[in-house]
Amino acid sequence: MTPATEPRNPARTLPDLCVRCATCMAVCPVARVTPRFPGPKQAGPGAQRFRSAAEASVDDWIELCTACRLCDTACPAGVPISELNLLAKAKFLDERGRGLRDWLLVRSDLFGELAARYSRFVNPLLQNRTVRWLLDRTLAIDRRRMLPPYEYPTFRKWFADRQAPESAGRPRIAYFHGCFTNTNEVDVGKAAVALLEAAGFTVTVPPQRCCGIPRLGVGDLRGAREMGQRNLSLLLPTVREGTDLVFSSTSCGMMLRHEYGPLLNLPGAQELAVRLFDICEFLVRRQEENDAAVRFKPLPRKVAYFTPCHLRALNIGLPALELLRLVPGVEVAMLDTECCGLGGLYGFRKEKYPISEEIGKGLKKEVGRLDPDTIVTDCEGCRMQLRALTGREVLHPVQLLRDALAEG
Amino acid sequence: MKRWDLIVIGTGLAGLTAARTAAEAGARVLVVGRGIGSLALFGNSIDVLGEVPPGVNLDAGVSDWIGTHPGHPYARTGWEGIAEALVAFQELFPSPYRFVAAGLTNSLVPTGTGTLRPTYLLPITMRAGAGLVAEETLVVGFRGFKDFQGDTVSLHLKCRGVNISLPRYGLEGLTALALARLMDEEPFRKSLGEAIRGQKAGEKRIGLPAILGLCDPAAVLEDLEGVIGARVFEIPMLPPSIPGLRIFNRFRERLIAKGATFLMGNPVTGVTVKGGRCEGIRVCNPPLETEYRAEQYILATGRFLGGGLWAEMDRIVEPVFHLPVSQPAGRGDWFRERFFQPEAHPIHAAGIATDRSLRPSGEGGAPLLTNVRVAGSILANHQSIEEHSREGIAIATGYRAAQEALKA
Repeated sequence: MTPATEPRNPARTLPDLCVRCATCMAVCPVARVTPRFPGPKQAGPGAQRFRSAAEASVDDWIELCTACRLCDTACPAGVPISELNLLAKAKFLDERGRGLRDWLLVRSDLFGELAARYSRFVNPLLQNRTVRWLLDRTLAIDRRRMLPPYEYPTFRKWFADRQAPESAGRPRIAYFHGCFTNTNEVDVGKAAVALLEAAGFTVTVPPQRCCGIPRLGVGDLRGAREMGQRNLSLLLPTVREGTDLVFSSTSCGMMLRHEYGPLLNLPGAQELAVRLFDICEFLVRRQEENDAAVRFKPLPRKVAYFTPCHLRALNIGLPALELLRLVPGVEVAMLDTECCGLGGLYGFRKEKYPISEEIGKGLKKEVGRLDPDTIVTDCEGCRMQLRALTGREVLHPVQLLRDALAEG
Repeated sequence: MKRWDLIVIGTGLAGLTAARTAAEAGARVLVVGRGIGSLALFGNSIDVLGEVPPGVNLDAGVSDWIGTHPGHPYARTGWEGIAEALVAFQELFPSPYRFVAAGLTNSLVPTGTGTLRPTYLLPITMRAGAGLVAEETLVVGFRGFKDFQGDTVSLHLKCRGVNISLPRYGLEGLTALALARLMDEEPFRKSLGEAIRGQKAGEKRIGLPAILGLCDPAAVLEDLEGVIGARVFEIPMLPPSIPGLRIFNRFRERLIAKGATFLMGNPVTGVTVKGGRCEGIRVCNPPLETEYRAEQYILATGRFLGGGLWAEMDRIVEPVFHLPVSQPAGRGDWFRERFFQPEAHPIHAAGIATDRSLRPSGEGGAPLLTNVRVAGSILANHQSIEEHSREGIAIATGYRAAQEALKA
């Protein structure tokens, strides 16, 4: 991969690129379930023609965009629809203010370590009906939304404390685990490390912070930029010494790879982006360069694979699916439904929960139809939503691949 | 970096047909689309050559017509090539949601403006609209649904029309996708069927906007016909096209099952050509540009709306390979005097000229690129709007281009 030679032309926010063909209306998950959101065509380039920096926002429905970016992947004219929505949402929320709930939700990285340390006390509280009722009433965090439990030791602690394997002569690879792997799904990180080591690498875990995508979700561009700057200063030394960086969360990856540069304009973003890979994308590439890179043993399992929206936005195909097909005995069916409906923190908000749940309905039905042993998807948000919708086991592809690693 | 057997640029019907033909023959296929492709806009039924009047056998009609149009894309495939490709297309849609013809001849079906147009293959959801009798037909629209004007359709068809609403479901302001999604729910379509039955005054056929479900349109049709007690048909309407999305989804499902990879949402920003061969294409997802390489390439980027052709002030260009475009001498010759003149506008015959195996050709007919083939509406010397040949050209040349590429 190389840096793009020319910046996107013409001006990124130019609404007149839109020819009003309505293709985006075919994929928008929100417009499909509620008439309150006019859909990407109208909310993005349509309304943009009437927006002025000097005047107050009038379109409060802009908040209903989940930033899934499916409209961008469908548009034949190259209109940056989701970006127009995001900028409008940022302006609207700057004017209206964001409140305590948003302040807390986007900072879950700050208290995540602490919550994990005391997960024995925190987790029962998160499941407690009264606590959830209180969160619902005081912070408008919907009580029907399952709150993910914390885990201890965290991924970082596990990684620091473990007996690292022999590393002499092996190339290095750095791992961006993201907040959720660190404190809520430690096994995803363990599986990522096991796979990368099986592929012949020495894994390092550079210091890192929240990628900042929750802040983009509430249109907090300044906050997102701050998180981006911090991460760049923490991660650039690794890539500058020639080490590639992989991520296992497609949302963190999308943020690091495609928002730090084009949207947030952070210096060094492109330098990071050219050395940053989705873990499955990286392993597929390794597999092609070296036939014996990773060997899998048979694992008889009926798997349903779901494509996260941000994986679609990364536009790297379906590398996890390619890897799963290398495992003898794994039978993969596609959950070909667009968007799980969680939209990150979107689905936690009381006023948006019904939309989130309604979008997820189609997916729930599809899971019921396929009746798989295991559901697999690359994004923690989709996993949360799929667990809530179906009550089934939902894994990151690397967890299943780790289970299928041949000995030795 | 992985080398593909075939890269198809374009996700319309031509590109998808080419990709599927190659993938089913065992080729490793990469499909690159700037957006979702033209099926989301106006894929409804399959036109082959509307110039052949209903009642006249299409094989003889098309063969005769090729004789008088030696430069037409159909001259590259002949009727045999068209017929073989259409059979392959029909095989992709097994019962119950099939594509059928009224014998080997065109039918006249109603459009969203209430005119009649000739077409060849119809999805079963449109079959009852063929050869309709005005006195026996009722057109049903939805109150507040902007994309389908039932009154206009019934006025022009000279049949009775009604607009209905189902207060319980709050249909006002819903999009086509939202309606299609509701149709997939059995209780909704049964209530709708009952409401329509209440409006029926002995009509034997009921026309509805083309929203009869995305997942299981055959079941929607069967239920509606059962409850209403009349035959039901879909009438195409403004984009996005639900029947087109069904076609797209089916192709994508099959292609992914056959191991093809889809990249959607970013343009091809450059190609590497050496010694008359394409060696790679570059896809830009800012801030990155990625190169993909294959043995063979198929260009199926469509015309002006899909970005396959680009009109500058004084000439028409092809922006991916910068191929010469067969076109009128100057801008003054692009259009006829009046927009709605019966004769075709010369600009619509502009496109890429090819040799017999669909390789782009320059003056004298020699191929310019030996491993690139061109398929679909971007080809020169057709007037698909007036001829009603759009889908036939896409399917026949997409199929042939893949066969030629595999042979090479």
